[in-house]
Amino acid sequence: MQLIIGGSYSGKRAFARQQSDALIWHSAYQGDSLESWHTRVLPNHQLVLEGWECWLRDLLSAADEPDLTTLRQTLQHELRALQQAEMEQGVAVCLILLEIGRGIVPIDAHDRQLRDLNGWLSQDAARLCDQIHYLWHGLARAIKD
Amino acid sequence: MRESMLTFISGGVRSGKSALAETLACQNQQRKGGNLYYLATAAPADGEMGARIRHHQQTRGPHWITLEEPIQLTRALQQVEPNSTLLLDCLTLWSSQVMFSSSLNEAQGLSLLDDFVQQSERMQVDLLLVSNDLNEELPPTDSQVRAWLIFQQLIHQRMVQRADRAIQMLAGIALEWKPSSPKRESDPCN
Repeated sequence: MQLIIGGSYSGKRAFARQQSDALIWHSAYQGDSLESWHTRVLPNHQLVLEGWECWLRDLLSAADEPDLTTLRQTLQHELRALQQAEMEQGVAVCLILLEIGRGIVPIDAHDRQLRDLNGWLSQDAARLCDQIHYLWHGLARAIKD
Repeated sequence: MRESMLTFISGGVRSGKSALAETLACQNQQRKGGNLYYLATAAPADGEMGARIRHHQQTRGPHWITLEEPIQLTRALQQVEPNSTLLLDCLTLWSSQVMFSSSLNEAQGLSLLDDFVQQSERMQVDLLLVSNDLNEELPPTDSQVRAWLIFQQLIHQRMVQRADRAIQMLAGIALEWKPSSPKRESDPCN
């Protein structure tokens, strides 16, 4: 599994496009739900999942008092399922994650929870991925290879 | 190959961007000769911003020629001798002024910056551009602020692509992204 991480408008998507000509986009920005990635799996293709911060926001707003530990576990399950799909169905998985943890602590509690969950998701994803690139203003650096 | 150098330096608040840029600019001028210019994009201000500007001026020392230009960057080049070194501090402030204190749109702002860089190249003026990494936090919800962030990132990607050298500052340490990133030491945790 591959991870591309970086700030907003840092060139993550363009970098993903350079990785393969057989890309399948599963994108929260196009209204795709996280769970429905199963329907997109094609052997010998690269499945790119983007817009995690939107999926995290959905998860957080679905609960009255969200339990971050439980949500983190839900996401860990999803990551493991993706890893399993790679091994069993011959699809390559690429996760695009947004770095949002380097600003001032947000006043809004939901924003703070979003940052927390996104940070944990990034750590969990990074542990499972064997290739990680960090994008900075259009340049990519391998931080795990 | 062109003979002038473009260096791009960015990073977080108080990460040592200006200090490094000033050191590199001084070294460059000693090697190359010519004048040493500091192009401040801050419009003259009072209060906290004024103190910030004075702090920068005092620490820079007397061998610098200070120019001020909040928006029309090429105008500042009229006062610059060829074969010199020019440090612009900073692109973040400049881009915010283009967006919020001028009638220019993003495309016009971008071509203004391109003109500035190209004209500097023709004059064989080495440029050092300082900016701020503002894109690694929660994206702004306000549409105008978001449009500014997009403009700022467009500028960053363009300048990084054009730059001979691109440096990210982190706690006073320079991470070299361009021309070549040094091979990372093997991680003992893996």
